[in-house]
Amino acid sequence: MSELLRIALTVNGREVSVRVEPRQTLAGMLRDQLKLTGTNLGCEHGVCGACTVLVDGRTARSCLMFAVQAEARSVMTVEALALESGELHPIQQAFADHHALQCGYCTPGFLLTVLEYSGERPEADPDGVRQRLSGNLCRCTGYHNVVAAVMDLIERDEPV
Amino acid sequence: MKQLGEALARREDDRLLRGGARYMADLEFPGLLDAVVLRSPFARARINCVDAAEALKVDGVIAVMTATDLEYVEKAITRQFYTLPAVFVERHEVFLGPYREPVLADRQVNRVGEPVALLIASSRGLAEDSAELVDIDYDPLDPIIDPFAAMQPGAALVLDDVERNVQSSFRITVGDPASEMEAAHGRVGGRFRIGRAVGSPIETRGVVAIPPTDVEPLTVWSSTQLPHLLRAYLAEFLRRDESAIRVVAPDMGGSFGGGIYPEELLIAWTALRLDRPVRWLEDRRENLGSARHSRDQVIDAELAYDASGRFRALSMQIVQDCGAANAFGLTLPFNVASHARGQFAIDHFEGTGLCVLTNKARVTPVRGAGRPEATFVLDRLVDMAATDLGMDPAEVRMINLIPAGDMPRDMGMLYRDGNPMVYDSGDFPDQLRVAIDASGYKRKRRKQACPRRDGLLPGVGISSHVEATGLGPHETARLEIDSEGSVILTCGSNPHGQSHATTLAQVAGEILEFPYDRIVTRFGDTGLLARGGGTFGSRSAVTAGTAVWRASLKLRETLVHLAADLLECDAADLTLEGGRVHPRGAPGAGLSFREVARAAGSRSPGTGSETSLSAYDEFVPPAVTFGSGTHVASVLVDPETGTVKVVDYLVVDDCGTILNPMVVDGQQHGGVVHGIGNALFEEAVFDEAGQLLSGTFLDYLLPTAADVPDISVVHRSHPTPLNPPGIKGAGEGSTASAPGAIANAIVDALRPVPVEINEVPITPQRLLELIDEATRDLAAPGVRRA
Repeated sequence: MSELLRIALTVNGREVSVRVEPRQTLAGMLRDQLKLTGTNLGCEHGVCGACTVLVDGRTARSCLMFAVQAEARSVMTVEALALESGELHPIQQAFADHHALQCGYCTPGFLLTVLEYSGERPEADPDGVRQRLSGNLCRCTGYHNVVAAVMDLIERDEPV
Repeated sequence: MKQLGEALARREDDRLLRGGARYMADLEFPGLLDAVVLRSPFARARINCVDAAEALKVDGVIAVMTATDLEYVEKAITRQFYTLPAVFVERHEVFLGPYREPVLADRQVNRVGEPVALLIASSRGLAEDSAELVDIDYDPLDPIIDPFAAMQPGAALVLDDVERNVQSSFRITVGDPASEMEAAHGRVGGRFRIGRAVGSPIETRGVVAIPPTDVEPLTVWSSTQLPHLLRAYLAEFLRRDESAIRVVAPDMGGSFGGGIYPEELLIAWTALRLDRPVRWLEDRRENLGSARHSRDQVIDAELAYDASGRFRALSMQIVQDCGAANAFGLTLPFNVASHARGQFAIDHFEGTGLCVLTNKARVTPVRGAGRPEATFVLDRLVDMAATDLGMDPAEVRMINLIPAGDMPRDMGMLYRDGNPMVYDSGDFPDQLRVAIDASGYKRKRRKQACPRRDGLLPGVGISSHVEATGLGPHETARLEIDSEGSVILTCGSNPHGQSHATTLAQVAGEILEFPYDRIVTRFGDTGLLARGGGTFGSRSAVTAGTAVWRASLKLRETLVHLAADLLECDAADLTLEGGRVHPRGAPGAGLSFREVARAAGSRSPGTGSETSLSAYDEFVPPAVTFGSGTHVASVLVDPETGTVKVVDYLVVDDCGTILNPMVVDGQQHGGVVHGIGNALFEEAVFDEAGQLLSGTFLDYLLPTAADVPDISVVHRSHPTPLNPPGIKGAGEGSTASAPGAIANAIVDALRPVPVEINEVPITPQRLLELIDEATRDLAAPGVRRA
């Protein structure tokens, strides 16, 4: 086992300092060191999108990124999505309203993908939504209700 | 408040949306060790020796277990998943050979990925690193890959005592199919292939085992669909009493079929041996290669019809490539044969099934489990017949559907539970009419006459299916009200995305007049209920729903009688509302559930009155109940690239009484997209050496959001008489129709080029080959549109 490296970064708005193996993935660091288990691993080869988090506001596959690459950067996971009041974030609420999740395993990845997307104030175009969601695999919902939830968010055009 | 049948919000969501779920990899236990499974790299080989000496020198490596370490336990799993009633075995000429699946391979491996050793270390990373130091010496043997070659006399055997590699077989004959075939006006048929597929939940499998203490039994956490059955297998393997074992299924990231796995037994045994908590988390490559696969059938089929287009007889000869071990006996080909006639009135039928062992990954029932195969073949035959008859497929379908007035209809054979197979309810012609109207079928047909500027070819295809749902043997539920007045629902069927905590609570809430979102729900723990079934075969709404329904009625009766005693009034004058029992019209005069529960608890036992507010039910379904559906798929085919885009999709579904339409729609959407995956994208491909070529999600293609259309769902419910609420299963049927509907739509799109699709998945490469072949065969050039 190689030497542990100390890294400092911001996770969900808080500055943290952790010791990690150089080979530790960002997902592993979030889950094992910081106990943020909302980020799920589906394939560990960057295809399924379940482990999607935001790094400096952009989606990243936390299974393909080393923890050390997140040094001095800002990471956001699903645990930080709900509002400070404790209420669900509008994206989470839209997923609940439209039954856009079943087993929930892929859901955190979808939520963060949609957070990035909705920030771009996209047009209400179902094909565009489908393209944008195509990096996240879901085996339960058939995507129909996920697309409906995202379309609803876009059509309501609430800043999120 | 009306709850049953309402699209009420899911209670599961809040926690899942906040990242608060507890899936296998999220569970924490002090002192947990991690295991990795060392798997065979060969499809068939002798194991000369396993040398773990170097690995065991590594600091943090605790143990390496091999077959020789398996002492005082069973060396292999031999218990088959189902027992078959003698009457079924006799009537349908069933042969059922042995099933044997080593827990760890001993001397020989029979598939790539077969567990050979287990390495346990202080962390998963260290375990994976150290696994490379274990030296396993193999002598590779020629693998048995093709099921037809495997059945030839003199072929090598996967298991020594399974002759010709045929592990099980059956023959079903209804009426006089041979004479009818012979006498028919016309026949269509051919050889159909359904590619191998993998269930592919987004969460891979996992197991944690905690050794027993003075007060706790051996506890095995597993992402299983079958906690109680796993406990039974563990008891057999470990030679312990079931009471000494607790199985818990935590939150699960989907599950679409599987069964009991050697890894579950191995981890439990290792935890006992080491007296330490041990965990195994599967990775995706293991899941794609070593979790059980499905489909992989070759079906020779023929449909005979008379001059007016009425179907006379059908035959399907099914060869199932089972891979290296077949835990499920004849289930898969039997599901094909029993669903082969679908919604049609076909009085003469022959179905045979052969389950053949090969040196490939094992198969298991996965979402649909035989129905997608049967439905695909039947849908294609119907469309081929329509073409021969010069009729529209919708017309041929309509004249052959079983009329609603013929329900219930005895199909002239037995189901595998030994009961006569009877379609219990439904209105198939209505389903088709609604599907034609709602999909704009006729408009789509008219529009096909005008070529598109982009050269894409539009096509529309119909499929219809039935699905036997709600299989026994039993399901259990307990409803109770504790001394705090909480309503607690415990059920033997555990969810993996199906919304049990919502839908089953709606059932109980409706009967107890209590808000569903305040009912405490508990699932997936054998410590909570002595018996239980599980979630498979579109059974939970049917069997668990009915058990909850009946337990709730019993609890309601007890509650009302106790309250009547306490209030000194007639039970018939009492009603329930919002957690209170009160005389009709006088809500203020009643008692809260809490007050009734406390009064009951303070009574002396033996006084003849209830002392606890608890009701248990075990529902044994009298027979399977048939759900059904009719689907219309619309596609655009690009004849230059062979790509197919499904542009819209309609489902007309009959699952009887609907517990929650939002949840049922969600099941339909997911099922259809699983079927689209099987139709167009997903295939587990092996080479001649038995190596899996599709071992990542880059090669094994699950449908993405961009690959699939919006899916409209229309409900046409005909409740079944077979259970009091009238529920029929809804989880899997939707997978059955997608391959046939899409294949028919593609054939339709390419007309007049006479492409015949008899194989799924229909990849662009395959479709181009078919187009080229069909174009070459045409006498006149230039008929190709586009």
